[in-house]
Amino acid sequence: MVQISLPKNSKVEKGKYFQDKTGSKNIRKVNVYRWDPSTEENPRIDTYEVDMDNCPSKVLDLLNKIKNEIDPSLAYRRSCAHGVCGSCAMNMDGKNGLACTTPHAEITGDINIYPLPHLKVKRDLIGDLDGLYKQYQSIEPWLKNNSTKDKEEIIQSKKEREKLDGAYECIMCACCSTSCPSYWWNGDKYLGPAVLLQAYRWIVDSRDEERKERLKKVADELKLYRCHTILNCTSACPKGLNPAKAIAEIKKMLAIANV
Amino acid sequence: MDNKNPLSPHIQIYQWHISSLVSISHRITGIINIIAITLICIWSSLLIFGSDNYHFINLFLNSLLGKFIVLSLTWSFSFQILSEIRHLIMDLGYGYELKTTKITGLLVIFGSILLTILIYLIGKNYI
Repeated sequence: MVQISLPKNSKVEKGKYFQDKTGSKNIRKVNVYRWDPSTEENPRIDTYEVDMDNCPSKVLDLLNKIKNEIDPSLAYRRSCAHGVCGSCAMNMDGKNGLACTTPHAEITGDINIYPLPHLKVKRDLIGDLDGLYKQYQSIEPWLKNNSTKDKEEIIQSKKEREKLDGAYECIMCACCSTSCPSYWWNGDKYLGPAVLLQAYRWIVDSRDEERKERLKKVADELKLYRCHTILNCTSACPKGLNPAKAIAEIKKMLAIANV
Repeated sequence: MDNKNPLSPHIQIYQWHISSLVSISHRITGIINIIAITLICIWSSLLIFGSDNYHFINLFLNSLLGKFIVLSLTWSFSFQILSEIRHLIMDLGYGYELKTTKITGLLVIFGSILLTILIYLIGKNYI
């Protein structure tokens, strides 16, 4: 169901204000979404004044600086810090992306940082992605090939391999799925751009023998056709991929194929 | 399952861009058009019951509010048509690059305004 407003317990309140203690003249205000599961309180926005003279270029550096120097209680996921693992996906300045590849210089005004949209918050900037992972599992993202023996290699031509370009690079950071209004309103049934891009990746893989079954599986009013080409996914993808195009390709294949 | 956790903000904080705006406008104008077409059908069926009804509605449509409504509907029909053409092209698998969607989105927005003016001028016999 479409619910525009947030539930009562999710209304965001004004939080603490952390004044700068370094005396720096190059200060930026950073507003960060906070929620502590150990309290009964609503989520709040804490504001930090950060000395930008001694801060590296990315939003993740900014968060690290806050955590190390101002407020150690801040929680967020991060790991590789160069856009490969997809852990630090969050909403910065109203747009999803990876904190480690988003320069804070590109954001004008105060820097607003929220968790990925429309997820159950576990703590601060950490959203619960279990639902998405279950959906990912449901498309069975592994090679299904029974006719080839284990020790035999499966030949793939360059052209066939090229079909996977733009699909295999996905790091499952969930930036796209959580940017999609259709996924917000129907996330329990609609698979969302991230999972559909992966479904596409296995459908077009020449080595896979269950193309038809895979197509049949996603051919569903709710699972697939909730995509209304809003294109939030493509504009959010930190790896420059195009999930919307992949979804369109699946729709096209279904229109042509006899499944 | 712990369902008491808060839901992170979504539409409240997410930045709008051309194609999300065109998409939501497409839906809104679609609903408006359905209502408008229904009303036009009712209006035409009322003609069966005599000319009084016709005069009454004619009078209303020639008032300032009526003219505003007609012009707005012309725009919402124009928008719907152009946006639908954009959707048809996208259904064929074209125009998914970010730059292209921006350009086609802008074409829909400005095109709908131009089309409204054009239809108005044609209706007024200026062209």
